[in-house]
Amino acid sequence: MHALEGVRLIDFGQYLAGPFGPMVIGDLGADVIKVEPVTGDGMRFANQPFFGCQRGKRDIALDLKSERGHKIALQLVANADIVHHNMTAGVAVRLGIGYEDCKRVKEDIVYCNTWAYGLEGPLARFGGLDPLYQASAGLEYEQGPVREGNPPNYLRFGMTDTANAMLSVVGCLAALYHQRVTGVGQELWTSLLDGGSMFASDALLVDGEAVPRPRLDRAQTGMDALYRLYETQEGWIQIAAIEDEHWVGLCNALSLPELVDDSRFATRAARAEHRQQLEALFIPRFVARTAIQWTRMLDAAGVPNEIAFDSHAGELQHFDGDNERLGLVAEYDHPLLGRMRQYGALIDFSETPGLIHGPPPLVGQNTIEILEWLGYSQAEMDELKAQRVVYWPDDDYGWNV
Amino acid sequence: MPGALDGVRVLDLSWGIAGPLGVLLLAEQGADVVKVEPPGGDPFRDYSGYAVWNRSRRSVTVDLKQPSGADAFRKLAADADVIVETFRPGVTDRLGIGYDALHELNPRLVYCSCPAYPAGHRFAQRPGYDALVQASSGQQWEQPGWRPGPIFLHMPMPSMGAMFLVPTGILSALIARETTGRGQHVRTSLFQGALLYTTQIWTWVPGADSAFFGTMAKTYPPGVHQEMVFEVADNEYVHASIMSGLAPVKTQDAILGLPDPSDPEKYMMLSPEERAELTPKRRAAYKLHKRDELIAEFRENNHAIEAIESMEYALGANGEPHPQLVANEMVATVDDPELGHTTQVGVPIHLAGTPGAIRGPRPKPGQHNEQIFGELGYSPAEIAAFSGVG
Repeated sequence: MHALEGVRLIDFGQYLAGPFGPMVIGDLGADVIKVEPVTGDGMRFANQPFFGCQRGKRDIALDLKSERGHKIALQLVANADIVHHNMTAGVAVRLGIGYEDCKRVKEDIVYCNTWAYGLEGPLARFGGLDPLYQASAGLEYEQGPVREGNPPNYLRFGMTDTANAMLSVVGCLAALYHQRVTGVGQELWTSLLDGGSMFASDALLVDGEAVPRPRLDRAQTGMDALYRLYETQEGWIQIAAIEDEHWVGLCNALSLPELVDDSRFATRAARAEHRQQLEALFIPRFVARTAIQWTRMLDAAGVPNEIAFDSHAGELQHFDGDNERLGLVAEYDHPLLGRMRQYGALIDFSETPGLIHGPPPLVGQNTIEILEWLGYSQAEMDELKAQRVVYWPDDDYGWNV
Repeated sequence: MPGALDGVRVLDLSWGIAGPLGVLLLAEQGADVVKVEPPGGDPFRDYSGYAVWNRSRRSVTVDLKQPSGADAFRKLAADADVIVETFRPGVTDRLGIGYDALHELNPRLVYCSCPAYPAGHRFAQRPGYDALVQASSGQQWEQPGWRPGPIFLHMPMPSMGAMFLVPTGILSALIARETTGRGQHVRTSLFQGALLYTTQIWTWVPGADSAFFGTMAKTYPPGVHQEMVFEVADNEYVHASIMSGLAPVKTQDAILGLPDPSDPEKYMMLSPEERAELTPKRRAAYKLHKRDELIAEFRENNHAIEAIESMEYALGANGEPHPQLVANEMVATVDDPELGHTTQVGVPIHLAGTPGAIRGPRPKPGQHNEQIFGELGYSPAEIAAFSGVG
């Protein structure tokens, strides 16, 4: 048995923050059916980000605006546990797949909408993209850092798409657990705006005044002389000399033993205060040896450290022997592009493992099998396709992925 | 008001960010969480964020290295649904509170481990501070910044990934337990948390052309969405969006006062040459506008835009908090036992049927020793002996 075996999720989402949550739930063993417009998900053009949010799903391409397409959608919902999408305000209700519509065909459905801003409020009607919520949560400001005179710096990892999606996963699973215990379903929502704020959830005001928290330096190396990157003769090394014993080890490894008893650096707070003096001493030392030499010396001295690893856009992690052996890499064949690798299991279960079903689907790749399962005959399916109510890949497949 | 996770009892042995914050997502949906700290408290108590990440739970202190302390912990575990721990692989086994021992004691227990690296990985015994995992996972090399080379990530990205994986794994195991009747060992790590954020940028496809890797590519200087960051008057910045899902009234260029505004519907279709010609004109125009006025006018005309400021600013440190964060009840006030009247982020998962809620400020270490261990039949003297209090 897999962790979420027997759970079925209908994914009406497009782009990233909608579909990523269902992908994660699919990786846990659920059956995820992506209901894709017959014109294709609007994110397919983006290739790699699209791939990162769609693997393992079964895909039915459906025109929800047509009466018969809508009927098929509700047939799917009637056989599901969770409905998930990221449509903007009012769209799902106009399409007849709002919470009340779904509840009518499946009383205990868990229904999740991931928004840009939120359900109600001054900006709720706006859609938006990840960077706006990196801005609102201060990520671009702190990463610049703007305070030190740099421009804002956007983080490249689709931060708030991922946060919104993961909040929706936790919310859907909490609601599903509650449904399994009580028999009662419900609707829930999350947003890019709220997701972004989780990344800065250490921000705190006391009596309305900001409490200081760690700040990045202008060269974007780290928070402190003892918690930062240093350039070496070849490569860069990250150190984390947090505790007093780390500090002593570092001074010895750098051949600066006199610093151990220097009153300017006697406590963690004092070392933080004299950041610049320490960096002026350390920087020339670090450039005198290579990163691999430093990591061995620092390990021997008991100083937490790692070489900053260039994975070549992930390739070297995807082919790392430990990662392969531990299931952290997944490999499968895509029907158009062939062999591909993505990360594997992000959570391991001793009794009910997850299940990575396979590559991202083509538009309508599973339309036929899903319609057959719902009881449609071949003649009905052909007619639905001729009327552009449904689509499955044929000789005129119009997408690159 | 009932919570979705009412009746779920969690023992939180975790330190740092990922464990406490992951547990917070469960606690504020109704789980009953007891933080189990060493005498003197969690060593991360001085960290920024501690007061937020550890709220909505009770606290006991236990010296797990004392036989009587480990024994008291096992008594708690016998009646718990979930344990969360973030030690290096092997540590809890040595303390006699590892998965095997507690599973035998309580077969329904979901035991979640979140060290820095997975057990069995060659890095498993290496130190696990967040920035070290940023370095070893390759994240620092993936982030474009203002100089070549790896860039330190201000937000602790591996931890901020694992904090979502912890409750996801726990809830999956609780759902599976409804079928199997048995708990299990759920394991994730900061390293797997780092991998979570590679989802949009690390698909390896040797058969794809170079365009496949284009949209989110790393560039120097930073590209992709950086293009829509604009400096406005008074050395301030905004991030504008090319789409809002709404039909624009005036175009962005018209609002900016450009002489020959472009058709908003065609902006996405501009050729690189056209865009290159337009961009400096736009950048110059933005600088002539005051930020708050420009944001208001953009929004009136259905354009999405945000000020680039700090999270403290969004919480209202310099005036009004972000209006939509307020509408989402994400600007919360908490009376903290040590700090006083605080403003913090609220509950980010909005369940309509069983709304979540902040269930109190972070506790003082051992605040609930008497209450919780007293219920198990321990005398005050016994509690003092293993809790390091009194």
